Amino acid sequence: MQRSTFSDVTYAWAIGLLAGLGVLILIGPVLIVIATSFTTSQTLRFPPPELSLRWYRDLFDPVRSAQIHSAALNSVWVAGTATIIGAVMSVLAALAITRVARPSARILEASFLSPLILPTLSYGLAALMFFSVIGIRPSLNLLIAGHLVVIAPFIFRTTLASLTQLDPALLEASANLGASRFFGFRRITLPLIAPGIAAGCFLAFISSMDNVPVSLFLSNARTGMLPIRMWGMMESTLDVRIAAIAGVLILATLILMIVMDRLTGLTKRISG
Amino acid sequence: MLAPAPSGAVIAQPLTLDGITHSYGAGLAVDNVTLEVKGGELVALLGPSGCGKTTLLRIVAGFIEQSNGKVIIGDRSIDTLPPNRREIGIVFQNYALFPHLTVAQNIAYGLAARGESREIQLERVREMLATVQMQAFAERKPRQLSGGQQQRVALARALAMRPRILLLDEPFAALDKNLRLDMQIEIKRLQRQFALTAIMVTHDQDEAMAIADRIAVMNSGRIEQLGTPVEVYDQPASLFVNSFIGSSNLLPATISGKVEGGYAVALANGAAWQVMSPARFAAGQSVIVSVRPEQMLLADEASPARFPVMLKLSLPIGGEMIHDVTAVDGASLKIAMPRRPGMVASTTASAFCGLGEHARPVLFPLSPS
Repeated sequence: MQRSTFSDVTYAWAIGLLAGLGVLILIGPVLIVIATSFTTSQTLRFPPPELSLRWYRDLFDPVRSAQIHSAALNSVWVAGTATIIGAVMSVLAALAITRVARPSARILEASFLSPLILPTLSYGLAALMFFSVIGIRPSLNLLIAGHLVVIAPFIFRTTLASLTQLDPALLEASANLGASRFFGFRRITLPLIAPGIAAGCFLAFISSMDNVPVSLFLSNARTGMLPIRMWGMMESTLDVRIAAIAGVLILATLILMIVMDRLTGLTKRISG
Repeated sequence: MLAPAPSGAVIAQPLTLDGITHSYGAGLAVDNVTLEVKGGELVALLGPSGCGKTTLLRIVAGFIEQSNGKVIIGDRSIDTLPPNRREIGIVFQNYALFPHLTVAQNIAYGLAARGESREIQLERVREMLATVQMQAFAERKPRQLSGGQQQRVALARALAMRPRILLLDEPFAALDKNLRLDMQIEIKRLQRQFALTAIMVTHDQDEAMAIADRIAVMNSGRIEQLGTPVEVYDQPASLFVNSFIGSSNLLPATISGKVEGGYAVALANGAAWQVMSPARFAAGQSVIVSVRPEQMLLADEASPARFPVMLKLSLPIGGEMIHDVTAVDGASLKIAMPRRPGMVASTTASAFCGLGEHARPVLFPLSPS
């Protein structure tokens, strides 16, 4: 048995404390909001006096929560559509950019990625002004276009990473074996970059779902989006249903993430 | 034989490279290379990295379009054909097996691309797996295979397409040394069985000597010498070929006169030799005499054809004894002599160095004009 010295013990304690603090900050709020969502009370107070499913029942009531449902549907529709369009565009762009060695390709790459660093708030305002100048009125399609700009780079980036890891000899082998370019793309390139595309789509969908700045500028009363609606409820009524929405969103994300991880090894890709 | 040869009369097609030139930007990667590979022959392109051998291979495969010259299979130029219509099989350097497909799917890939029926694919996969003795591995993924097994699959995948030409890109570089010989024999066997005309690219002279019918030694984009392994080893056409193939001792000397079929040379270290050479030299011209280590010997007695050396080191390497000696002019030489059983390092510090009985030294002009 090895005796632990004083410094070993202090080291273990210090690291343990920091790790605990980290976990507390990361997980704590999530636990609190979930606990609060099961309250019986009328207010967003922690700790809840008693537990019930009252607010979830309220949230899923088609009449009383009609506005929330329509906002949620809008959000899912916008996120889903923007993700699908973004996936097609990003994959095509990434394919072209990895094939071309010219400096112009590097410039295009940087500009396709730029929405990631552009302040989204500025973009939201700019998009609103731009679209009103050219005379397009706010609509769900406009929101899709706005979200597309902000979320497509997620897919572009992960797809590009998968493509640069793809051994070019594989496509040469495919051509050498008599396959057309399209056959090689379908049977070799696409299956090998699919996990990268899926990981990007996941990030893009989530980021669209909780995007506030773009939705704030581009939506109106008829095209309410879930995060905006939640913020409105928070400001006016401190409705406990907000906590229930948060609970549903966390659960949905968790399920989506587990499914994705099973399918593609997502966590490895996001951290890589 | 484990698998029957492909049915029907298979006649190996010759492959001709006619004046191939290729440049990247300002540099010439391949400089006017003409090479005729006979039907059923295996030619090795041998040279250091950057000599243009890989570029040449990629031109034949169609991955690079040459600046000039023609690639001809049989009597048909294939330059206008894209890679996927050339019917050339390639075993890639790191095999380039499709990692997400099973062994069977890898082998069937080309047939599927060509739109062959499922029955034909299955049938051919079974045949190819038997040919490379990998029947037990059909459902494995490439990463579950060893290097040698991966190479067998790569061969099977290429041969499943019944190519006319087989290209091998550094086929043994990624293999363990003791596995190499097995795979060399295997490739030679398959090449004969399928009547393939083959080009192998390698930087390893032992590999080239082992399986090539002829070796094309390349240097800065040109073929320096084309010949059988024995020719290239025994009669190197240039100092470059001489140094690249095997090891040799280079001794400065002067031509002292002409003899039947060669020259009398006076070595700088004092010995006088007669060296057979078809080349033309003038009396008094400075030359380099190259002798392979195993064609030299050490003796105790002096003679006019021997020069004194100091013995620095003797290493018993397998069946040979390698002596590291220094001549009086300071030149360092290596001498390989058969080792008698029980013989250990020599104890004498000085000896006389001369030519062995069947020695074939080669003369090179000192400064090539």
